[in-house]
Amino acid sequence: MPLMTPPIGSQLVDLGSALLLLTCFAIVAQRRLSACVDLFALQSVFLALTATLVAFLTGIHHIYIAATLTIVIKAIVIPRILKKVIERLNVSRELVMHINVPASLLICGVLVMIAFLITQPIIPFGHLLTRDSLAIALAIVLIGFFTMIARQKAVTQMIAFLVMENGLFLGATAATYGMPLIVELGVFFDVLVAALIAGIYTNRLQDTFDSVDTAHLSELKE
Amino acid sequence: MLNLLWILLGGYAIGILLPLCLPRRPKAQIITTTAPAIVTTSAGVVVGLLGLTSSEPATGSLASTIPLLTFAIRLDPLAAFFVLTISLVGLAASIYAIGYIRHFDGRASVPTLGSLFNGFLLSMTLVVLADNGFFFLMVWELMSLLSYFLVVTEHEKAEVRYAGLFYLIMTHVGTAFIVLAFLIFFQAGGSFAFEAFRHPAQTLPEGMKTIAFLMALIGFGTKAGIVPLHVWLPHAHPVAPSHISALMSGVMIKTAIYALIRVYFDFLGGQFPWWWGFVVLVIGAVSALLGVMYALMEHDLKSLLAYHSVENIGIILLGIGAGMMFQTYELKEFAALGLLAGLYHTINHAMFKALLFLGAGSLLYATHTRNMEEYGGLLRRMPWTGACFLIGAVSIAALPPTNGFVSEWLVFQSLFLSFHIPDTFLKLMLPLAAAMLALTGALALACFAKAFGISFLALPRSTHARHAGEVPIPMRIGMALLATVCVALGLGPMVVVPLLDRVVAPFTGVSIEGQVLALDGWALATVNVEFSSLSPPILAMLLTVLSMLGLGIVAAFGGLVRRRYYKTWGCGINLTPRMEYTATGFVQPIKRVFSSIYQPTVKLETEFLQESQYFAKRRRFEFHVEPIFQKYLYDPVLAFVTALAGRLRVIQAGSLHLYLAYIFVTLIVLLLFAV
Repeated sequence: MPLMTPPIGSQLVDLGSALLLLTCFAIVAQRRLSACVDLFALQSVFLALTATLVAFLTGIHHIYIAATLTIVIKAIVIPRILKKVIERLNVSRELVMHINVPASLLICGVLVMIAFLITQPIIPFGHLLTRDSLAIALAIVLIGFFTMIARQKAVTQMIAFLVMENGLFLGATAATYGMPLIVELGVFFDVLVAALIAGIYTNRLQDTFDSVDTAHLSELKE
Repeated sequence: MLNLLWILLGGYAIGILLPLCLPRRPKAQIITTTAPAIVTTSAGVVVGLLGLTSSEPATGSLASTIPLLTFAIRLDPLAAFFVLTISLVGLAASIYAIGYIRHFDGRASVPTLGSLFNGFLLSMTLVVLADNGFFFLMVWELMSLLSYFLVVTEHEKAEVRYAGLFYLIMTHVGTAFIVLAFLIFFQAGGSFAFEAFRHPAQTLPEGMKTIAFLMALIGFGTKAGIVPLHVWLPHAHPVAPSHISALMSGVMIKTAIYALIRVYFDFLGGQFPWWWGFVVLVIGAVSALLGVMYALMEHDLKSLLAYHSVENIGIILLGIGAGMMFQTYELKEFAALGLLAGLYHTINHAMFKALLFLGAGSLLYATHTRNMEEYGGLLRRMPWTGACFLIGAVSIAALPPTNGFVSEWLVFQSLFLSFHIPDTFLKLMLPLAAAMLALTGALALACFAKAFGISFLALPRSTHARHAGEVPIPMRIGMALLATVCVALGLGPMVVVPLLDRVVAPFTGVSIEGQVLALDGWALATVNVEFSSLSPPILAMLLTVLSMLGLGIVAAFGGLVRRRYYKTWGCGINLTPRMEYTATGFVQPIKRVFSSIYQPTVKLETEFLQESQYFAKRRRFEFHVEPIFQKYLYDPVLAFVTALAGRLRVIQAGSLHLYLAYIFVTLIVLLLFAV
């Protein structure tokens, strides 16, 4: 049963979403690798908080489970895997960028505007208290994708991929109060496996090219 | 009937699975791969005959979870006719395989080969039985893929891999066109069931009908091997194991003929503008003539046979094209005759081509080469193979009293009947097609005089040929079976024509059985006895009597001449195999006459003795026929595609980030479009 009035609850959800978006920008602006991982963990915590809030407001219990899994997998396990990869491979701390930080931030700003523009016609049709978060979710997905393109190291790309996943999770929560539990569980498993595979891939990259710079992959062309 | 059909499909399924499960003992392998096929193809012959004679088509179907797809089968007379053809050839090929498959021991996996063989038979049977467009495309694709794997049985040879790839690309290009044709029907009817294709197809706009006609012609034509889409046949057919070549050349390419008749006469309801039939006729005439001309220049026995498949598909299309034109002008009896002639030639060609391929396989088995120049003198060493090959050669050269003669005669007659068409242009063109067919027949005779003469007569030209021996008994039985069918189909058209009439009647709306059979069923007439008629049994009797008479005269009066056995006079030199007529030499005159088509390159190098210019030390003779289609059609297309691919490589930089950026930009653009 709703314990808070919808406007306040809705605004709190919006706040959580905005914090997610903010961490996104922080990841884009960050020049150090390990800080990126920490920021991702922080973002996951924000996501879990937002999800818990939604569960609390709507009384849908399975979102609690998803939130717990988010904390365990995305805020603890995966950051640890990433840190280990960074340590083992001696990845230099500096990020290598295709696009420098100011330009990246500008582009991300444009992407957020695009996301709001695209979702504008849809949002008024929604009747959920989370509906405004849809635009932010899309913005996070787009920024995650952009980060994949703009940063060269394989580890950064993994982080970007996980950010995208966070965006999708937020989007699912925003649009339909989360997917059925079985789907959520599947997605978590997939993310974990993807992180493991990407870890192995990074290792192989290091072995082959003595670097985790994916730009070297173009040498594989005949 | 339906039960029998399920047994048929189940039998092949056993044949697919059994060889793969059983222990790897050679004897067991041979039995498990061939026995199910023999039993099932025998059942297939029965099913075909029952389907031809039953009044109602048998249908059956299984629903599937995939939308638009139903596993529906339907056995109408047309399908039954092709089931009969497939099963007959399949039966002979599987008996033959008992002996032939040993040839592959150690070189290829016998269970895999047998399993694929059964699967290939199953897929061909399902192609003609399918009653749903989606299902048809599935089994059609299955047939193409299985035949590809069979073609590349000896994949360790580069030549085989090249042929396989060539075939795979050609057949997929063809399938793409077929899919387009079916989608047109689907759009009109809203369902992939053939039943829906049949009726609404008549409401298709004229333009769509024309597109469907052309797509089907190109798509199925690729499989059938019409000129200029025939180039894969002489590559793929020779390199496959011979009993597979027999199936591919004998029946697989006929499934395309089946599909063409199904689409034109069944789906499109037999209502066409005149030029459709004309296009089919022209393609038929050109395929027939060019097929036989290229066959003449081939010295690889199996390539030669592959080119003859092009020729015979051309002859079949001549009959069908004539039928289509008569249909346009509402001359129903003649339309039925043309179609009947085409179908008759279809089964005939299946029989004698399979027989010849099995014969070629026997030669390969005995001599380990496909090059005719290394044969010679094999008749004495392989009398059974020789006799069977001779029957096949006589049939394909359309000499009486064999089956090729009867069906080609019928095709001729339907072309001659063109004077009934109320159009001067066509009145002129059809006899021209008949003239081209006549030339084709003459060249085919020359070609098989060469093929048989060079291979089987005179002295062996190589050690292989000298040490050749007769092939194992199962192989002989397989060939003898087909040879018998060839002769029977030639002598008994009165039995065959009524059956074919049942196939044709639903499409043309008239039964011409009564008009084609004359003299109480002892002779064939072309709709009108006065116009022309033919009685194969009487002809055969006459031939026998005349030859007996000739032999009798020789026996009676020949005794007067004193006999003396002595070796052939060789101008004082001992005769050696090197002095024999070669295959190259045999076709030299034809090559000269048609040099504008062949555009041959001849290279003669002579090295003289130092002492005198009058004595040659060594001569080298090289001769190539210009592959016109390859050079002027396929190479430009290939060059264009390669150039285009080269351009496209610019965006394939190999950079992960670039690829991601492509996806990202596409996503953003699409999202903005959606707003």
